Amino acid sequence: MSVFISALGFGVVTAAILAISAVGFTLQFSVTNVFNLAFGSVMTLSGFVAYWLNQVGVDIWLAMLAAAICGGLISVAINELLYEPFIRHGVNLFGMVIITISVGLIFDHGLQAVVGPSFFSYNAPAGKALHFADFVLTRQELAIIAIAAALTAVVQGALQYTRLGKAMRGLAVNPALARACGVPTRSVIALAWFVSGALAGIGGVALFLDISTFTATTGSEFLIVIIAAAVLGGVGSPRGAVLGALVVGVVTEVGGAYWNPQLKDVLAFSVMIVVLLVRPQGLFAQLANERAVAR
Amino acid sequence: MSAGTQYYIATILVYISVNAIASWGLDLQFGVTGVLNFAFILFQAVGAYTAAMLSLGPPSSNGGFQHYPFGVHLPFPVPIIGAMLVGGALSGIVGLITLRRLRSDYQAMVMLVVSVVATVVIESVIGLANGSAGLSLIPNPAHTISGVSRTAQSWLFVGICWLCMVLVGVIMYGLVYSPYGRVLRGTRENEAAIEAMGRDATRARMQVFVIGGAFGALSGALLAEFIGAWAPSDWLYPETFVFFTAVIVGGRGSVSGVAIGAALVCVGVQQAVQYLPIGSDPTVLASLEWIITGLLTMLFLWMRPQGLLPERRRRFSIPELRKLPAVGSEGAVELDA
Repeated sequence: MSVFISALGFGVVTAAILAISAVGFTLQFSVTNVFNLAFGSVMTLSGFVAYWLNQVGVDIWLAMLAAAICGGLISVAINELLYEPFIRHGVNLFGMVIITISVGLIFDHGLQAVVGPSFFSYNAPAGKALHFADFVLTRQELAIIAIAAALTAVVQGALQYTRLGKAMRGLAVNPALARACGVPTRSVIALAWFVSGALAGIGGVALFLDISTFTATTGSEFLIVIIAAAVLGGVGSPRGAVLGALVVGVVTEVGGAYWNPQLKDVLAFSVMIVVLLVRPQGLFAQLANERAVAR
Repeated sequence: MSAGTQYYIATILVYISVNAIASWGLDLQFGVTGVLNFAFILFQAVGAYTAAMLSLGPPSSNGGFQHYPFGVHLPFPVPIIGAMLVGGALSGIVGLITLRRLRSDYQAMVMLVVSVVATVVIESVIGLANGSAGLSLIPNPAHTISGVSRTAQSWLFVGICWLCMVLVGVIMYGLVYSPYGRVLRGTRENEAAIEAMGRDATRARMQVFVIGGAFGALSGALLAEFIGAWAPSDWLYPETFVFFTAVIVGGRGSVSGVAIGAALVCVGVQQAVQYLPIGSDPTVLASLEWIITGLLTMLFLWMRPQGLLPERRRRFSIPELRKLPAVGSEGAVELDA
């Protein structure tokens, strides 16, 4: 039983990191319809910004804030300088997927050429271990869970109850109609990219804290699990992304504790494939038609 | 020519043919039919492993240092044919899961995930294909011919690869420039229209998925026999992207264009990087290869999205169409290539 409980604890931490990132990934996708496979690279790049700040003595939580801002700015810059021009140039949905992969590869390997293939880790104490019944979590892990809960609640609340959130949802459903109703689409889209990048930055630092050592390609490797969580929940649905993250996080850690820990990701992907066979649109999303890229 | 130079040229020629075969497989799926197969490298890997197991002999051979479920020692063309069959069959299974019910953007993502899962499984379950170490000592069929020099054997293997390339090329021409090819292009361009004409778009996608997978497996089988070893590091999921770049640079849907793209991107970039004056740090060189590949893709999608040798498109003006005999009557002219 205690194996189960402690695995559940790890599962919740993994789910927290996944939720932050998957909400960022899926929010931007629902608003703009660009499957941004460079998302993992934004995580890594912001994670490294936090690393460099951390190296000169900045506290890791302050560095995480800087990484969030940095991730947001990188994300907006990628969209404005690369994706937008390509969309205006007439590249279709699938062409854009390939463009985002190119951007991700260029970022990852550019970073790798600079920092080399070695492993890095933050200089941050994990904090005292706290016991709740059989749960053992460090202060750091608790902080990550709290950050994830707060961020996902804020994003969900903002989408549900603010005018901006309404504009984003409107843009996701019908960009032309949203523009006709006076939604300033350009700035709403830019904001969606910023929020997505900021969440990538926070998710990246949280991920690197959790797994303790990272390389220039760690973010892109983790992106596959993020995609699994987002697809499981139904791409484009932040609520679904949180649920997908919980399922993937808990299934991987609990399954890994009882079975071969190297195969824990396989479990998550198997769950995803089974769910998709039964419910092709994912758990939460409506069966939307494929739409063109929003601009 | 020294033996070293000859061996270098032979290696380049083998790589050109193997990559052309693989790129054609992906071109049939992505270029012609519009299926975004982000798991393509998986089928090359399956071909390589199958060919290895069909030619290595039982796991106890070579002192039993490698772990794999079974193995036989079969004569030359059999391992390659077996690899194509297994590659096609696995394509069929993956296609059944992904192509039938999922939205096409989900399809692409799920295939990406499948590719990663396969790597994880092969790396962690050692008994399947010797884990991360991979299989080695895979026999090269040309090396079994005795009485000739090693150089002659290399050239013989080049001959085998180019023969396979020509065969696949002929099949590609037959498929792409035919009424069947029109169904495939129709599936890519306008699924609703092709279904309205009474063609099954999902079936067309499944078919190219299986055929392309078999081509991918063939390329993997040849590659494994040439290198003599095959490991998970040879088929990490970003490798699929190199073939996408080859198809985009060469010209989506164009058979001869994609062969040129494969030679330029899969072989040319790697060779060119070796001669750049930036030192010889292997990490920097490998990173540079990826950066150049990414930049090439973006450059081509911006400047020349149709590729170096674009797909042929026939256009008829309305008066010309009126002069044509009715469809189905004697002397009816096929539109579009």
